[in-house]
Amino acid sequence: MDGSLVEFFRTAPIPPEVFSPSLGLIILLPLLGAFVCGVFGKWLGRANVHLVACSAIAGAFVLSLLAFWATSDAAGGRVVSMVNPFGLERDTIRYAIAHDYGTWFAAGDFRVNFGLLVDHLSGILLLIITGVGFLIHLYSTSYMEHDDGYWRFFAYLNLFVAAMLTLVMADNLVLLFVGWEGVGMASYLLIGFWYTDSAKAWAGRKAFVTNRIGDFAFLIATFLLILTVGAFNRQADARDYNAAGSSRARYEQGISQRGPVTFKGLEKMALALPEGTGGAVSLATPIESGPLAGYTFGGVMTAALLLFLLGAAGKSAQLPLYVWLPDAMAGPTPVSALIHAATMVTAGVYLFCRMSSLLVLSPTAMATIAIVGALTSLLAALIAFAQDDIKKVLAYSTVSQLGIMFMGVGMGVFWAAAMHLMTHAFFKACLFLGAGSVMHGNGDETDIKKLGGLWKEMKWTHATFLISTLAITGIFPFMSGFFSKDAIFHGVHHNHLHGLEWVSTFVYVMGLLITASTAFYMSRVYLLTFTGKRSKEAKLAHAHESAWHMTLPLVILAFLAFVTFVYALPLMPRTGGGMQPVFENFLSPVLRPAEAVARAAETVHLDTSTPAVGDYFFAWLVALSGGAAAAFAYLKFFPSRVGQPVPAFARAVRRTAVNKFYVDELYEFIIIRPVKFTAFILFRVVDALVIDTVLVRGTAYVTEKVGLGLRRLQTGDAQAYAAIMALAILGGAVYALLQVLS
Amino acid sequence: MVPITYYLLLAAALFCMGMFGVLVRTNALVVFMCVELMLNAVNLTFLAFARMHGNSVGHVSAFFVIAVAAAEAAIGLAIVIAVFRSRGSVNVDDIRTMKH
Amino acid sequence: MNIELVLFGVFAVMTLLSAGLVITARSPINSAMALVSTFFFLAGIYVLLWAHTVAVIQVLVYAGAIMVLFLFVIMLLNLGDAPHRGKPTVTRLLGGASAVGLLAVLGVTLGRMDAQPARLDAQAQAAFGTMAAIGQSIFTTWLLPFEAVSLLLLVAMVGAVVVAKSRI
Repeated sequence: MDGSLVEFFRTAPIPPEVFSPSLGLIILLPLLGAFVCGVFGKWLGRANVHLVACSAIAGAFVLSLLAFWATSDAAGGRVVSMVNPFGLERDTIRYAIAHDYGTWFAAGDFRVNFGLLVDHLSGILLLIITGVGFLIHLYSTSYMEHDDGYWRFFAYLNLFVAAMLTLVMADNLVLLFVGWEGVGMASYLLIGFWYTDSAKAWAGRKAFVTNRIGDFAFLIATFLLILTVGAFNRQADARDYNAAGSSRARYEQGISQRGPVTFKGLEKMALALPEGTGGAVSLATPIESGPLAGYTFGGVMTAALLLFLLGAAGKSAQLPLYVWLPDAMAGPTPVSALIHAATMVTAGVYLFCRMSSLLVLSPTAMATIAIVGALTSLLAALIAFAQDDIKKVLAYSTVSQLGIMFMGVGMGVFWAAAMHLMTHAFFKACLFLGAGSVMHGNGDETDIKKLGGLWKEMKWTHATFLISTLAITGIFPFMSGFFSKDAIFHGVHHNHLHGLEWVSTFVYVMGLLITASTAFYMSRVYLLTFTGKRSKEAKLAHAHESAWHMTLPLVILAFLAFVTFVYALPLMPRTGGGMQPVFENFLSPVLRPAEAVARAAETVHLDTSTPAVGDYFFAWLVALSGGAAAAFAYLKFFPSRVGQPVPAFARAVRRTAVNKFYVDELYEFIIIRPVKFTAFILFRVVDALVIDTVLVRGTAYVTEKVGLGLRRLQTGDAQAYAAIMALAILGGAVYALLQVLS
Repeated sequence: MVPITYYLLLAAALFCMGMFGVLVRTNALVVFMCVELMLNAVNLTFLAFARMHGNSVGHVSAFFVIAVAAAEAAIGLAIVIAVFRSRGSVNVDDIRTMKH
Repeated sequence: MNIELVLFGVFAVMTLLSAGLVITARSPINSAMALVSTFFFLAGIYVLLWAHTVAVIQVLVYAGAIMVLFLFVIMLLNLGDAPHRGKPTVTRLLGGASAVGLLAVLGVTLGRMDAQPARLDAQAQAAFGTMAAIGQSIFTTWLLPFEAVSLLLLVAMVGAVVVAKSRI
């Protein structure tokens, strides 16, 4: 490549130190859009709302691009870097820009700052959120063209983007939690967007309540970390700080200025915790004082990480809290694409990548994450076999793909999980938008059995859907999904958790099953929807292709879903010799502390080999087998048996899968019934008796009676009032006299 | 020399008599006169203490009390006239409007 | 027994008698006349306290202006003798008792007190309680309260007219 071109890309248009104070604008712009659309939207009219909402996101995208460019700035060979507030002066963070807007709140010696941080991990997410977000906004202008609540829709959508940007740019856990709750709220509002339909309103509530369980765990985990940081700071000695590249003075200064829950501070603590540092504090050291006294640092860390897993399981729809996501398809399709496929549901994966250095301290937590991810992924893939609603299939597919990312995170292949997050955002958004386009052109028909033969009538939708299907399944190897998924499975296979070696084999086998299943159900959806003849039960005789607002995003997303496979190719030199995948190299500034901790703590063995051609070929065969099975079943087997009864085994399998393996019923039995019973008791005893009768009516009764009694005192006789005053004066005088006399 | 205590005892007696009248009499005009008695008792204490300390600030206070008493009498008597005009009585038993 | 004590005794007894008449007289006219006599005897007591100026103002303002106002109102309303003394209600009994009780408490308290007048030198004695001394004090240290009182009197004047007049 031409040297001047390289220099062009290495020089940010706006220098990092100039740009970093403006990071807040990236959040502020969509927030402003939400405000304008929400408050003045009805008055502004449809076209103006479209303009405001889309331009807010477009502006945020441009700013994100500049921010991303600034993080990669290496003008004149000098890489952009910032001083770590928790490390020594010479300890700098490369490829990151940050800005601290000062204290958000402080209580005692606890402090939370409004600090934003953009490095390569959050930078790539910024681009996904604003870029895919913009495409989906554009798509929505056409998709929601007949809806009267357009201004509400765009206000919520902008609000969601603002919250999601807060989530990824936050440099501490509390601010991240603000975004975490913000996206939850926006998700609730958008799932229940058509709130007049009670089923849809209930779906919104289900999502919200399920997420509350996770958020509760998240908060407790945050409190645990705050206590742990305090204990660490009390007990650590110079060698601990030295191992973390810090000193007591710097660390305490960082905590007093930035607060205890910043990611950089937690990273420093993680670096100091392994056994090998020789300091006073290691994973096996018991905490001496405070509420956690007696527990070891490692134990508390595992507990906190498992609680974070529960929190992430709520947001990212993993076992046992995945049930809300399929119901969340009640919302408009662009919402499903943006929130429930591309961005919000990946927040759990992002959280674990962000806290990777803490995560590698606990093999137990990592194994749990990987197993939960694998089980969720397979279960969701199996349920997806028998779903006839196109959006439901995609929803379960999302749950399944998120499970794959969790497997990656759990086994320490953070870069591959993050890459799958990115490629999944592209192809799943494309699939959802394609599904929306199909619905838009077929009178809102969602049953894939009542579609069919759309490839002639909806050429653009068909082509993009096909590309995305190939990307997610890996039937055609040179697609992003194939490489990112394979990178995860390769890492899963070769990484080893200390003491839990069986997990990698188990998760790898599960992964192969998932690959085949994914290929099967995605091929089924594609074949039933787009190929064959048009179903006799179709609502409309002829489908119509959607407007350019809808097809353009599809084309762009399909293109991205195709080309991003480049990032998984081993093209970059590794520091220790050999080559490494582009994306791993790209994320290495973020993930280096995690690798250092893993090496020092010997909790997890991180493999750095790249897959050989044979490995790729094997993965391709697995995917192909799934696709071939689907092709056989839906092109040959079932069409040839039209009119004949379906085989008994197929019916039994289908019944179980249609009923989602009775998970909802299990929940009903285990959780909802007892909770309802308890609630009934509480309602009768606490609410009806104690609160309503004793407290509410009792208060009123007593007040009324006392008032009736006191009314007699108010005679209106001024002399009587004066007499009471005189009595009071006499009483005061007598009291004073007695005090003097005694 | 008369001890200041005597003056103070006289003032206390005067004050309590005024207070007794305010609390017992029914005629609003007499009640007002009793209030004047109480104010005079207060003036007496001011002057007694002024004499006791040899400081004339007490005299200034008494001067102000007299001015306030004049204002109070003017307004109070105007109210008595207004009440009498509307109710035909100056009996405090008949004026029980200080409720609700 | 000096003349001062004798004068004090006479004035005090007369003051209390007049005050007793004020609160016991049936007719408001009698009360008013008794009040005038109370003010006069009190003025005498003020003189014994070397408060000549205040004594003069007492006679001019209280016994003169305020009492004339009272008499005018009594005449204007044409009030005769009270037809009855008023029922001895619970509140009246309580109020009367508390007034008596307060007198007892104050009597006990003051009885334990031994306060003597200040001993002043001849110059201070000559200046004490004079118009010049009080005027000096009012128009320098207490100027703001003085102005406030003048405003109060203005408000009282306007208020009295507004309240008392049937049609304005």
